[in-house]
Amino acid sequence: MKFQIPIGPQHPALKEPIGLRVMVEGEIIRDADLRLGYNHRGIEKLAEQKTWIQNIYLTERICGICSHSHTTCYVQGVEKLMELQVPRRGLYIRTLVSELERVHSHLLWLGVAGHEAGFDSFFMYTWRDREIVMDILETITGNRVHYGINTIGGVRRDLDELQVKKILDSLDILRKRSEYYKNLGTTEPSFVARLAGVGYLSKEDAIALCAVGPTLRASGVPRDVRKDDPYAVYDEIPFEVCTADTCDVLGRTVVRIKELFQSYNMIEFMLKNLPEGPIAVRAPRRAKPNEVVSRYEAPRGENIHYIKSNGTDKPERLKVRAPTLGNYAATIKMLKNGFIADVPLIFAAIDPCICCAERAVALVDARTGEEKVVPMLALKQLSQKIYGLNARKREVEWPL
Amino acid sequence: MATLKTFIYLIVYPGLLFLFIYSTFVEWYDRKLYARFQNRMGPTHTGKAGILQPIADFFKLMAKEDITPERADKGLFSALPAFGLAIVSTAMLLLPVWNYSLEKPSFTSFNGDLIVMLYLLSLPTFIFFLAGWSSTNLFSTVGAARVLTMLFGYEVPLFLSVLSPAILAGSWRMAEIAAFYRARPLLILVNLLAFFIALICIQAKLERTPFDIPHAETEIVGGTFTEYSGKKLALFRLMMDVEMVVAAGLLATVFLGGFPANPWIGLVSFILKTLFVIFFLSLIRATTSRIRVDQVVSFSWKYLAPLAVLQLLIVILVKGFIS
Amino acid sequence: MRIGVFIPELVRHLFKKPATVDYPFIKQELPPGFRGSPYLKPETCIVCRACERDCPAEAIEIISINEAEKRFKMIIHNDRCIHCAQCVDSCPTDAMNMDTKFEISDYDRHNLKMEWEYVRAVIKPKSAEPKS
Repeated sequence: MKFQIPIGPQHPALKEPIGLRVMVEGEIIRDADLRLGYNHRGIEKLAEQKTWIQNIYLTERICGICSHSHTTCYVQGVEKLMELQVPRRGLYIRTLVSELERVHSHLLWLGVAGHEAGFDSFFMYTWRDREIVMDILETITGNRVHYGINTIGGVRRDLDELQVKKILDSLDILRKRSEYYKNLGTTEPSFVARLAGVGYLSKEDAIALCAVGPTLRASGVPRDVRKDDPYAVYDEIPFEVCTADTCDVLGRTVVRIKELFQSYNMIEFMLKNLPEGPIAVRAPRRAKPNEVVSRYEAPRGENIHYIKSNGTDKPERLKVRAPTLGNYAATIKMLKNGFIADVPLIFAAIDPCICCAERAVALVDARTGEEKVVPMLALKQLSQKIYGLNARKREVEWPL
Repeated sequence: MATLKTFIYLIVYPGLLFLFIYSTFVEWYDRKLYARFQNRMGPTHTGKAGILQPIADFFKLMAKEDITPERADKGLFSALPAFGLAIVSTAMLLLPVWNYSLEKPSFTSFNGDLIVMLYLLSLPTFIFFLAGWSSTNLFSTVGAARVLTMLFGYEVPLFLSVLSPAILAGSWRMAEIAAFYRARPLLILVNLLAFFIALICIQAKLERTPFDIPHAETEIVGGTFTEYSGKKLALFRLMMDVEMVVAAGLLATVFLGGFPANPWIGLVSFILKTLFVIFFLSLIRATTSRIRVDQVVSFSWKYLAPLAVLQLLIVILVKGFIS
Repeated sequence: MRIGVFIPELVRHLFKKPATVDYPFIKQELPPGFRGSPYLKPETCIVCRACERDCPAEAIEIISINEAEKRFKMIIHNDRCIHCAQCVDSCPTDAMNMDTKFEISDYDRHNLKMEWEYVRAVIKPKSAEPKS
């Protein structure tokens, strides 16, 4: 018996709305289909109406987990447009925060993988230890989620000796704990039984379907923007690109845990070699007409921002390509011929950030299922027709 | 007088009232243990150390809106929770907590009550299956199919493992089995393997991690209970708690020597022994991750069933050796 | 593959204090420099409107009340504020500051508004142009 199971837009396995329709035969998935657009917020359009500085905080809010990734990617691009030379201490602190963010994101992912596999104890323990990183980030940036440490031309807060010592102390605990989770995640029989061999994505498919980040690296392709196209200070910091060749969810877990250790080493290196000097340069309010593409290796994969300036204090166009979008095509491939039970795991294994990837909406007729392209003018007329009929009251006190 | 006594048996102790209070306590105990295993606090604020939390949850659910799906089989859908609760409460009456007397067996303690007990513990599985099937939800249907698939896995090892102490004691009556092991405590050790197999099977029967496949929330939402809400869900939750008490009581009777022959000491030892069994159930729940339904079947037929047969063999050998 | 590899860790934590905190009843200490809600020190505000211009959420509003007396009114709409502290960075005279309050929820968004009415201060700003 074949039937279609709708996973999403509202589903306990999904933290954000996305429509995942799987055609199943018993417990086996025969076909899958992704529907995006439930979380579209019009951020790119909004960015065109805000100044360069205001847009830092807007891009930060594209995503909650990789908030630093988006700002860094944006700020790097803007700095290139404004031809600014960022002081080295500023770059070091920026990179330090991005590595701390990678640690917190990967620990978070480990917990989510545990939760999706029904391994709630693993989830609780990893998230408990993630709090250490969150506390560090809170101390050095002033907030737990939206760090707001980037500004055009550098960073906004300096590190002091006390903070450096605190981070170095915490790293020891984190190393020990990560070692434990590596051991646990790869030896606990019921957990490994759920991860091994699930969501197979061959090396050729991974390249053909443009997978990015740990999903790609777990298929044995050592591709990492930090190594291939070093930005900030990554050309000075020693690190390795971690790969696995099992091509499954277990491989993605292993890659992420290995990256944790690389990040710890990088953080330690950066703290020990922190250059002296200013942390930021003053930025002009306007940028010359130009365009730039900025690449950044977010915890989830390659993040691309395209920025076009027209000489004013606002961007003419900001285009965000979040890593999750690059992984969607591979997800469909991985889901096919799997079990229903593996859907949350496979989907979670790309570490999806749905609101990151919501850059477009499709209009689908709810009755016929027909998709269509509607010009802006027709949409406007439709809205005038609807809201003209039942006009909103003006100047009413909130709540309405 | 006898009628009144029967009523007290049915309604107060060990009937519904005792069961309600004790099963909510057991839920609290399980939640608290699970939380402490995970370095969390667990229920904290309702009553002392959150002990009243399950009761509060129960009454909260009772007060919530009760929705029956349009396309569901309404009669069956509404009757199932009550049926399920009735079945597991009946099973509780068979446990030799108060009907311990060997000389004057009461009407719930008879030769073969072990089989009736296992039968009554099998029925809730079908209740879950029917609950999922009758709500006509896609997720419920998948959940219902998983309930039955899992049943084929764990039921046979459970029966085999409960069989072995019965064979050693040479009786099908739970009170007699318990009395046999009380008289010869060392023989409990013979059944250690069967005890652990039974623990795993009971875990599967209660649908707790690693076997919470029929209502795996990250896969199929609420599974069999997706469409249940309000009073019906409250009754189902209570039913699961009671089932846990009864199953733990069964293991304690068959493997741990039952409850000594005095109503009050019997009650205390019943509580201690069930809590001991539930400790292991919680530990299994905290230690493992959910496995797939095909893995359940292959696991129980590849490992549990052969081990249970091996245990039977051991028991038969030991029995021959003793006599 | 080892069966029960997690058990020692679990049992060890059974006798340990929980890592979680009974939050609304027990408050945790905030680190210094935590970005809470912005507030104004009216005695140093020179009404340069840098904060109003840079605020990404348009949460700051400066209204002129009396041009002759140079009286101004600043309204911070905390319901719109995203707590980024850009106003603090933009302010050339350190008139904007951040406190560490974060539990500021309310049933009515109007209660979150903060207002200051003041006469414009005459201070030389630290630099000619506000820092970025």
